[in-house]
Amino acid sequence: MTYTYDDNRSKLSIVLDEEIDVNSCKTLRTIIDGYIMRYSPKVCELDLEKVSFMDSSGIGFVLGRKNLADMLNCKFNVVNANSNVKKLMQLYDKARRGA
Amino acid sequence: MLNEIYIKIKSCLDNISLIRVVVASFLSGTNITLDELQDIKTAVSEAVTNCIEHGYENDESKYIEVEMKLAEVDQMIYYWVKVVDKGIGIEDIELATTPTYTNKPELEHAGMGFTIMETFMDEVQIDSAVGEGTTVTMTKKLKTIKS
Repeated sequence: MTYTYDDNRSKLSIVLDEEIDVNSCKTLRTIIDGYIMRYSPKVCELDLEKVSFMDSSGIGFVLGRKNLADMLNCKFNVVNANSNVKKLMQLYDKARRGA
Repeated sequence: MLNEIYIKIKSCLDNISLIRVVVASFLSGTNITLDELQDIKTAVSEAVTNCIEHGYENDESKYIEVEMKLAEVDQMIYYWVKVVDKGIGIEDIELATTPTYTNKPELEHAGMGFTIMETFMDEVQIDSAVGEGTTVTMTKKLKTIKS
């Protein structure tokens, strides 16, 4: 995982490059929440282009970061999700609508 | 039977990525597509995660058994996997398999584990008894014809 913070645009950009499962989520959650609270950005961007694997833990992880960003009035964007990640997120959206 | 494997792994989080590697290696001799492989890896990852987080409640002294088979029927390849824990079991399977249901919302679980297994695999069977454990059996017909 790498991150950059653009002070002028108040934008926190996080690039994930690991497999996202329940194990990696535990560490990533702590680190990323720390960055979000440290910088209180107006925009937080999560780049998933280099994520080669994600399971349902990753869905919870992404939603959790979005919820934190929402609480801090920060716009949260997920970018460059590959087809497998998109498939999972779409499945979740569909399930939630049907729930 | 084209191939089969049985492994017993310690119930620890590090072994979730290990089992994905095992799945990929086991299927490497087939003409499986990347999408099929990703689906299977995700489904097995979910099943093993459930054993660790729910069945054994993160007790690393316990073990998970994983059995996989590849079979050929009418020139089609079938992948079969069984994931077994001897943990606390599932009290209400119907509730547990309800999409977005989770009994651990504080851990940011999406409640999608069984839904993903059922979506990505052709057949999913869950056998569970409270106090005895849970067995998840999944099958997927691979699109490829045996090379």
